Amino acid sequence: MDNKKLAPWDKAMESVKKWARVNSPWAIHYNSGSCNGCDIEILATLTPRYDIERFGIKLEGSPRHADVLVATGAVSLQSRDRLVRIYEQMPEPKFVIAVGSCALSGGVFDGCYNVMGGIDKVIPVDVFVPGCPPRPEAIIYGFVQLLELLQNGGAKEEPGVIKGTTPVIEKTSVGK
Amino acid sequence: MNTTEALAKAETLLGSVTVSSDRPQENRLDIDIKTEDLQKSIQILIDNEWGYLSAIVGVDRPDKPADGEEITADTNGKVEILYPFCEGNAIVTLRLSVPYDNPVVDTICTIIPSATLYEREMIEMYGIEIKGTPDTNKLLLPDDWPEGQYPLRKSFKGLGQS
Amino acid sequence: MTTNKTNKFTVPIGPQHPALKEPGHFEFTVDGEIVTGATARLGYVHRGIEKATESRNWIQDVYILERICGICSHVHAMAFAQGVEMLANVEIPPRARAIRTLIAELERIHSHMLWAGVAAHEGGFDTLFMYIWRDRETVMELLEMLTGNRVNYSANVLGGVKFDVQQDQIDEIRKGMDKLEERSRYYLEIVTTDETFLGRTRSIGIMDKKDAAVLGAVGPTARASGVERDVRVDVPYAYYPDFPTVSITDNAGDLEARFVVRMKEVLESVRLIREILDHLPEGDLAVRVPRRIPEGQVISRVEAPRGELFYYIESNGTDTPERVKVRTPTLPNWGSVLALAVGHKLADMPMILVGIDPCFSCNDRMVHITNNKNNDQVWSWEQLRQYGIEYYK
Repeated sequence: MDNKKLAPWDKAMESVKKWARVNSPWAIHYNSGSCNGCDIEILATLTPRYDIERFGIKLEGSPRHADVLVATGAVSLQSRDRLVRIYEQMPEPKFVIAVGSCALSGGVFDGCYNVMGGIDKVIPVDVFVPGCPPRPEAIIYGFVQLLELLQNGGAKEEPGVIKGTTPVIEKTSVGK
Repeated sequence: MNTTEALAKAETLLGSVTVSSDRPQENRLDIDIKTEDLQKSIQILIDNEWGYLSAIVGVDRPDKPADGEEITADTNGKVEILYPFCEGNAIVTLRLSVPYDNPVVDTICTIIPSATLYEREMIEMYGIEIKGTPDTNKLLLPDDWPEGQYPLRKSFKGLGQS
Repeated sequence: MTTNKTNKFTVPIGPQHPALKEPGHFEFTVDGEIVTGATARLGYVHRGIEKATESRNWIQDVYILERICGICSHVHAMAFAQGVEMLANVEIPPRARAIRTLIAELERIHSHMLWAGVAAHEGGFDTLFMYIWRDRETVMELLEMLTGNRVNYSANVLGGVKFDVQQDQIDEIRKGMDKLEERSRYYLEIVTTDETFLGRTRSIGIMDKKDAAVLGAVGPTARASGVERDVRVDVPYAYYPDFPTVSITDNAGDLEARFVVRMKEVLESVRLIREILDHLPEGDLAVRVPRRIPEGQVISRVEAPRGELFYYIESNGTDTPERVKVRTPTLPNWGSVLALAVGHKLADMPMILVGIDPCFSCNDRMVHITNNKNNDQVWSWEQLRQYGIEYYK
């Protein structure tokens, strides 16, 4: 989303795209090893009481249609590859919201043998929503923060780069 | 049948396989059995409809190391395996031990097919070999988990560290 | 897993699905429409908690064990605290027992309603899902009012509970109970009379009493097959000795029975909560428990919403446990369901799996379907679910 010399038509397209993205991001949810607390609060945001759909946010099933990845859990060794695969399948521009203490840093499970730690050890994260679990309002606030980020043209230093491909526990030692 | 009666009944039923017994809590009867008597003991309980298998518990019992020394993968020891059966409030636990150098026990899936999930967990967490168990795939650990690393043994300190 | 080289239907579940939020892996062998074999592969949520308890002290362990599962967090902490209190030979004050039970029953209501909504969604009944989750907010609000959090209430401490229940809170709870009673009766009526719903649940996934008993099924899954197994009745703990509850069973053993049993349990929980509030004893909230717990081993069992939760706790006399074994209710239920999946239609699998109220994080989805014809396919859980819905149209 850089603003080098754009023809008027391209500029118009950029605004439309930005507007569409801001007004209707499609999100996909992934549990990388969470206790479900965060996941049920994310699910609660869909229900009439909180109704995240009024912001145009739709929870989708396929990564190929998603703008935003909502990830929970302290990445377990088995789920690392799937997390990366889902991230890679998402088209640019893509954003990641990490929900819950475990997604931020591993939470209480930091240091456990089957746990890698926070989501940002594996993929770049744009918004962190702390809590154990964060309440639906906090999750919606996280989304709104993301929408504001989008409105202001995005803020990642290196969009799309998968950081930390070397996991906390050396992958090479597993399987030998 | 109240708890006392239930425990008394179980004690009688299992008399032939009892090596020793213990009452760790008022509602519990622990029976130590010989490893080779496992299937026979389970069959006795099932045939007499005494309770249901509630879990299979493993407890690592490495030998106590010399002062100042750590427990390592070379330390000798055994793994104790518990089979608790629950009948209302009464719990009868069959206990046996297998040494590290011969960690073999029979399957009980021929009698209780649903025990396969518990047995798979024992295999991957403690390195027990369960003869005749129908499924030896990993249950909880990743497929590429290194051989010989058993997380619930005391000597395991994390991948790449023990 | 299967010895003959057959082709597989691989159906990855869960991670991308909003309703079943938990990853796991099942393998089904099918012959045409009918399932001929089934097994499970869990572990995507395996965090190594049992090992972790050995390097944390008894107090820290309460916090980590609470987070085994977000849906039944209170019962985990309660089972652990009870076990440690047995080892330390302390008796907690009656008010603490009452409050523990109160929270446990509120948790049961929230869990059953959560499940009912998710199960409805699995069957394609999205409106019902939305209605139930809207009503579930009543319970969430009450829990938040009492404990400060909607999930992970952290009410237990070793020796009792952390907080008290005030009079104005009691009034709020009563109002909430009235509302929930009315709604639950309505849902009970729907699940027993709506034709489309019954088409997906009546006579589907039958587990007979003998199988349920021997295979070790627990909780509402077992009770829906007529097996009277309920830890609150068999081994009354916390406040149940003073205010007993009844084991709610049904004889049909099918999916409809599992819905009915859970809805009736919600109503029974409402009754129990009202009774506890009518007779809340005065007194302290907690007693002191020593930092080092005496040597010994205990088995502590409680009735989680999904069934019997089994804890084996061994102490070596220090301030960290020697061994904590957690056997969650979903594990034996998986075992029994997988043993009985044979003979059922593939289209029934989503509902049958959901019918036991599976909690993966308690156990730690993918679905592999092995077909005896030559047809390698990869499905998503969404596709499997849609397949089930379309099949019954």
